[in-house]
Amino acid sequence: MLKPSIPSFWAVLPFLILFLFLLPVLIVLFSLFSGYSENWAHLYNYVLVDYISNTLYLIIGVSLTSLLIGTISAWIVTNYDFFGKRFLEWALILPLATPPYILAYTFTGFFDAYGTANNIIREIFSLDQSFILFPNIRNIYGAIAVFSFTLYPYIYLVSRAAFLNQSRSILEAGRMLGLNQYEIFYKLSLPIIRPAVIGGLMLVIMETISDFGAVDHFAIQTFTTGVFRTWHGMYDLTTAMQLASILLIFVATFVWIEKTSRKKALYTSGSSTFKPAKKIKLIKMKAVIAFLICFIPILIGFILPITELTKWAINYNLTFFDEKFLQAAMNTILLAVAAGILCASIALIINFSIRFNKNRFSNFLSSFLSLGYAVPGLILAVGIVQLFALIDKNIFINTDIIITGSLIGLIFAYVIKSYALANSTFESGFQRISFHLDDSARTLNSSGWNLLSRVHFPLLKTSFLTSILLVTSEVVKELPATLILRPFNFDTLAVSTYIYAAEERMFQAAAPAIAIMLVGLIPIILLTKMISSSRPMDK
Amino acid sequence: MSKLQKLMTILYIVIFSLSTAFAEEVNVYTSRHYDSDDALYSEFTKETGIKVNIISGNGSALIERLKVEGKNSPADIYFTVDAGNLWKVQKDGYFKSINSESIKSVVPKNLRGPNDEWVAIAKRARVIYYNPNTVTANEVNNLSYEDLARPEWKERIAIRSSSNMYNQSLVASLISNHGIQTTESWAKDFVKNFARNPQGSDRAQIVAVANGEADIAIANSYYIGIMLSGGSGDDQLQAAKKVKMHFPNQGNRGVHINISGAGVLKNSPNSENAIKFIEFLLSKKVQQYMVNISFEYPVIDGIDPHPSIANFGTDFKEDRTSVADYGKYNPDAIRLMDRAGWK
Amino acid sequence: MTALVIKNLYHAYENKNYVLKDINLSIDSGEIVSILGPSGCGKTTLLRVIAGLEDQSAGTIKINGKIVSNKKFMLPPEKRCTGLVVQDKALFPHLSVLNNVMFGIQKNKGKHTLAINYLELFKVEKLANKFPHEISGGEQQRVALARAMAPHPDILLLDEPFSALDQNLKNKLYQETKKIFKEKGLTVLIVSHDKNEAELLSDKLIYIKEGKISHLEINNQLSY
Repeated sequence: MLKPSIPSFWAVLPFLILFLFLLPVLIVLFSLFSGYSENWAHLYNYVLVDYISNTLYLIIGVSLTSLLIGTISAWIVTNYDFFGKRFLEWALILPLATPPYILAYTFTGFFDAYGTANNIIREIFSLDQSFILFPNIRNIYGAIAVFSFTLYPYIYLVSRAAFLNQSRSILEAGRMLGLNQYEIFYKLSLPIIRPAVIGGLMLVIMETISDFGAVDHFAIQTFTTGVFRTWHGMYDLTTAMQLASILLIFVATFVWIEKTSRKKALYTSGSSTFKPAKKIKLIKMKAVIAFLICFIPILIGFILPITELTKWAINYNLTFFDEKFLQAAMNTILLAVAAGILCASIALIINFSIRFNKNRFSNFLSSFLSLGYAVPGLILAVGIVQLFALIDKNIFINTDIIITGSLIGLIFAYVIKSYALANSTFESGFQRISFHLDDSARTLNSSGWNLLSRVHFPLLKTSFLTSILLVTSEVVKELPATLILRPFNFDTLAVSTYIYAAEERMFQAAAPAIAIMLVGLIPIILLTKMISSSRPMDK
Repeated sequence: MSKLQKLMTILYIVIFSLSTAFAEEVNVYTSRHYDSDDALYSEFTKETGIKVNIISGNGSALIERLKVEGKNSPADIYFTVDAGNLWKVQKDGYFKSINSESIKSVVPKNLRGPNDEWVAIAKRARVIYYNPNTVTANEVNNLSYEDLARPEWKERIAIRSSSNMYNQSLVASLISNHGIQTTESWAKDFVKNFARNPQGSDRAQIVAVANGEADIAIANSYYIGIMLSGGSGDDQLQAAKKVKMHFPNQGNRGVHINISGAGVLKNSPNSENAIKFIEFLLSKKVQQYMVNISFEYPVIDGIDPHPSIANFGTDFKEDRTSVADYGKYNPDAIRLMDRAGWK
Repeated sequence: MTALVIKNLYHAYENKNYVLKDINLSIDSGEIVSILGPSGCGKTTLLRVIAGLEDQSAGTIKINGKIVSNKKFMLPPEKRCTGLVVQDKALFPHLSVLNNVMFGIQKNKGKHTLAINYLELFKVEKLANKFPHEISGGEQQRVALARAMAPHPDILLLDEPFSALDQNLKNKLYQETKKIFKEKGLTVLIVSHDKNEAELLSDKLIYIKEGKISHLEINNQLSY
């Protein structure tokens, strides 16, 4: 097939950017070629089966639970009208501000045999001290709950957008064919939004896999805890990186299967004008049930941890919120926003180039970079440190170390870690733009930057903002993992939380943990603003 | 230098000239960083005029950063709460000997590296907590870690997961004393005595004993101090009041001790300042300050631990097993616990 | 003068069967030509290949005497001076009607006046400040035509432009647009599945069947 005579700028640029950011991930993967220690025999004989089965249980449990919560709540708030709906519609994404490990700590504090929940029950019914209503949650079910209630917003966000884009005519056709309300949900609406929801589900799965804090607290042996046991305890970084690589390859296969299956089922609504489905008004019991279904995820994923933390912080120290805190908060916000803007810009350029050039290789590299989300943060940090040391040694030969331990390194790490969030936002954003617009624009002499800045960017402003905000909130949560990359004395909010949490001094960690949630709330509140204004046709 | 290198260097200097150059400074890579430490550092600067620069983070990850930075590393001191990591850095040859008579004279030999590559700053004991309502004084009398594998403790013991470094150090110390085989058969019996699947923090084990979920628990000494201080809420204070502490192995080698420690790095650009800093941490004033806040035990003589810890006794026998052995046997300890089914 | 010459054109999607086979075609300047055929016959693909939106497998395309693509060379769509209107109009939803029309005009001076002129030509100048979703389907179609014509393309490509409109509106638009095309002396290539429409609009009818030109018909009907 014939190609344009000059190699297009748009074919080269994404390749360069992606390659640069992929290097640390490649360094991790490269461990696969560096020999296998005798620890492998040990892992294989004693623990690997546990790692794999626990990780799989976790993935399956979290997927199902977060799908249920995310799609049902999205369906309810987009199709029904009831008391509190407008509040729930945006409040449902608040749990995004809760890092899973913090929910894990507060969960145990709250539901323990002698924790707040059981104490309250005993108080109310004046029961004996030995009465325990809530079961032990320090197990795989507890972990599934922790991940589901902190990560379901990724599914909620895409489902809601997809349900809103579903035109009334399809749903009406369904009713004409005799489907009732519930059948329309699971026979019609759900299958239609499937491709979009799977994108959100991938994010949930990748974050679940890469987490260490929560599963470690519940003492569940997963692949990632195995990675850290092998590294920190057996001092075998190579085997740890090999384990992480296997995990990566597993995720990559998953992503690839998902992509090919999605290609067969690509439902884009070509039209930019749609009629919103008419909302059904709920009253009395039905309204109460709808409210509860949507409120419980917010209660567990956000209200519970923040009240429990506040209780701890008031018990322990509120002096944390001083000038130093302000400095650290500023640093955190600046870093997170810088990473957010960079990530969004890269994802925009890459996805544009993939669309503009129909560049399959870039598409492949882009999905590959998305895998950064599934790499445990500390392992990624090691990859980056190794890369930067190499650069320092080979480019800045006669000077001291320069890039290692600079802010560049930190931002670099965040971009790799959270590219998946920006990428998935832009993927679905671009899918919503009809190719006919590109065709028209190109015959009107617009291409490349011109096309991007005049047509796509204006149409993708929401995607751009959404990805900045998603990345920002992720970076605020994710800070601990990349602490070792920072320059001297560069304090961020996570420092104290991380150190205290690592020592399980959660009461001391409470104040900084609240700070993380509060700062993480800023981008999320902005996101909710966008959500509540994204339905101009509402009254 | 090539043009590109020059350009990049200039660019870097322009962007990152923020870092004010102090005439005298000491650069610390630490995995121990409490809010109260800041007061310590500024006190050091006030006394000596030397600025303390900090990077805190995961101990193992900081080692990787040290390694790749190589001889260009700005780090002077590596400070960690895990003896294993100290041993690792020592074994890989990134420490140099600390030549300070004032340090050697106050810190006992088993709390220093074989050639004084590192030195303990604070120590903690891994003790047994028991519920006096369900465990008789006779049962705990002279109780050792080794005894906990005996059948009379079946389903009575609470301990956290084998991923925890304190448990790894404990098992490593057993390996150092008894060898792998004996320790492994001990671990297999020990695991049978667990009252529940390993879970939660050290404090959760103490709470489990207070609540009757288990009769005895193994946890670090300072946690009871934190709990009794009321700083972690009334529930934990009440739980802590219900349990008693026992120092195991008093009849033989003594209770297992772990340390926070620091060493001076081989490529340290400010090694004199680094030694001054460690000397400062080992001064009476600072040791007193640190143990009062962290509820740990001091490493020098003449300092009392915090009263709430001292109440459980200060006159106990400490295990003199070299702390360096914890690191050396740590990988064996993990593999052994995996084989024994210690989750 | 010939505005468009196509010689031995082949096209296949991803190395599967040929969608276009040995297309040879020549259109004179100022001519209005319709391409007719059942759906799936390749007529839209032909239009897209001419516009440069699809690669070709073999053959040569010349616009106004200049080769825009052959074996070794392919000019991207933005450099071909074609205008395109598709069935769903593809107006930029974030731009006003006026800005839509101004979008493709290259010169800096007089952009505004030129765009207004074209809106006037299609009698939609009053809608200049409206946004696409605020106007009717027929009005959107007029704007789309104005937008495609405003940059003075060498050849205007229309892909079933009227099929979404009702019959009354269609009849009205046929007359108007044909008049405008003829007045401006535009070369126009229309893809259609409606013989009646093709006869009303064009000078020549080309029939495509299974990717090949089956026959050609000169339209004798006087429609205006």
